Amino acid sequence: MRLFATAPAGAPLRAPELVEAHPPGDRSAEDRLSDARSSDARFSDARFSDDKPADDRRHLGGRPPGLLHSAGFRFAMVYAVLLALSAAALALYLWWATAGLLDRQTEAAIRADVQGLSERWDEGGLPALVLTIRERLEQNVDDDAIYLLVDPTLHPLAGNLHAWPSPVQRADVLYELSVTRAGAPALAQVQRYDLPGGYHLLIGRDVQARAKLRTLLTDALLWGLIVVGVMALAGAFIVRSLFRRTLANVSATAAAISAGDFSRRVRVSGRGDEFDQLAETINDMLDRIGRLMEGVRAVSNAIAHDLRTPITRARARLEDAALHAMTLDELHGAIERATDDLDGIVAVFQALMRISEIETGSRRVAFTTVDLAPVLADVAELYEPLAEENGLRLVLDLPSSSSASPAASPAASPAASQSASQPVPQSAPQSAPQSAPQSANPLAGPTDSLAANPPAKLLTRGDPEMLRQAVTNLIDNAVKFSPPGGEVRLSAAAGPAGVEIRVADQGPGIPPEDRVRATERFFRGEAARNTPGSGLGLALVQAVAHLHGGTLRLDDAAPGLHATISLPFGG
Amino acid sequence: MDLCVLRTFGLGLLLVSFLLISSAGGDSMPAVVTTDTPEYCHNLFVRISDAIHAATTPPPVEVVSLSTEGERMCNDGLTRGGILRLRRALMILQQQTTSP
Repeated sequence: MRLFATAPAGAPLRAPELVEAHPPGDRSAEDRLSDARSSDARFSDARFSDDKPADDRRHLGGRPPGLLHSAGFRFAMVYAVLLALSAAALALYLWWATAGLLDRQTEAAIRADVQGLSERWDEGGLPALVLTIRERLEQNVDDDAIYLLVDPTLHPLAGNLHAWPSPVQRADVLYELSVTRAGAPALAQVQRYDLPGGYHLLIGRDVQARAKLRTLLTDALLWGLIVVGVMALAGAFIVRSLFRRTLANVSATAAAISAGDFSRRVRVSGRGDEFDQLAETINDMLDRIGRLMEGVRAVSNAIAHDLRTPITRARARLEDAALHAMTLDELHGAIERATDDLDGIVAVFQALMRISEIETGSRRVAFTTVDLAPVLADVAELYEPLAEENGLRLVLDLPSSSSASPAASPAASPAASQSASQPVPQSAPQSAPQSAPQSANPLAGPTDSLAANPPAKLLTRGDPEMLRQAVTNLIDNAVKFSPPGGEVRLSAAAGPAGVEIRVADQGPGIPPEDRVRATERFFRGEAARNTPGSGLGLALVQAVAHLHGGTLRLDDAAPGLHATISLPFGG
Repeated sequence: MDLCVLRTFGLGLLLVSFLLISSAGGDSMPAVVTTDTPEYCHNLFVRISDAIHAATTPPPVEVVSLSTEGERMCNDGLTRGGILRLRRALMILQQQTTSP
């Protein structure tokens, strides 16, 4: 809490001394200030300073990660594993389609033999089976058949094996059997079948040639897998190198920007691939950040520039009063004028905070269905005296409910709606209303005629107070800049895409080159230099329009300005 | 003590290996295929000769050449090749006798 110390009685008035008073239990303001300072300091340290955190960031950014923690290594390993798995799957399929096929062919041949010999056994018994085996051996051009028919004592009766092989003990099991053919070792696949009467039959095929082929296939596939493994590792190394090289581009740019060079951008290769898209996105982001930083800088400069004048003025008044005021009334007058200046500063800050609040969108949760017609009528009624005081004619132009379809309907056409123009009485006789088509009394205010002929509803969804503030700002500007005897027209209509609110004046307007910047905070055109204001009005209007999903458009009215707020339908 | 344990373990391992090799060798005595022998080759040649003599028509030239070549190869020690040719000759003869 700050208090002025009272001057001693009889002493000349001098500059009041600021006294710090801290009543017990009332340190909240100072505490909050201290907290804000410390918070600012923390924010500054964490975001913008080049102290330890930034050093840590640079340190982490410059040190390459360990191999196991490297994303490039992980990608490379994924590539290698996937390639190896694919090659293994292909090898398995080739094995199944070649060596497996040979095995299946052998089993099929044995099954066919069993079928034929079984039929012969059924037809002619043992003699027929012996004869059939002999004939099949004689006709075995492929030279791969193996038969052996033995009696219950395992004595050979027919076939081409000299004795029953001891490993073959169980029936219906395919055995791999080593045999000797013409003195050379060979491999056979045989199967045992038990016949009635204790006879046993062994049927098989010589698979030595197939075994050699299978060995060749196995060797080829294994060598192929080894080659694929080597290629997978080489490919993984290449993938990792490409990955690191691509990321190095982004990383170098980020490091340069982190070090303060905000002009750096990620290099675009021109191939138009995903990395180029990423680079372009990052560059767009950096451009936007740059524009935002420039905007913040401009706003900061504008705040400093616009607030310096009233603060300096207030200080000069207080200093002048402290040095030269001879009476208490003069001192009070100076203080009041300084207070007015400071109130203006407070108003600027409040406007800035309100714009920021609107831009965050937090007020959107309180949106409701709003009929704009009464809102506009209220604003017109509010500004009616001010317009009259400035010698202006304020006209409210709303579609009437008697002739127009429901204005909130998207199908409603503004051309089809009949206007209910309501002029505000003019103070100047020469500018008395000449075109008041539906006003029974030319001196009646807008609300008088509106009560007789109520306007159609103009429904949108939003915050009525904010919409009222936006329209108020436009009307205030129009009244402020229009010359005496002119007309300010506030109109609204339902367009194809929504509701349009238009404020038209006959002032100097805004030059085309300034219209784009007219909605920036603190922007003031040349024509507005000598007019009171802070340059925040149109910025707030645009923020409100954007919050409601609408737009603010500024057009030349030749002469004057057309400011149009377009809002989507609601209801 | 450790050395003693290691020695015992090594000897046990050698003994088990020897037993395994011995048992494997005993079970894997290869069976001998009897249709790769000169005797079988001779039997096939005799069977072809009997079939030719029993036939009412002279044998095809291919049968004669195959049987002659097969016998010569068997006599030269090329038993499996000779048997293969004799089997082909026998098949041709049987096809001739079964065909109308």
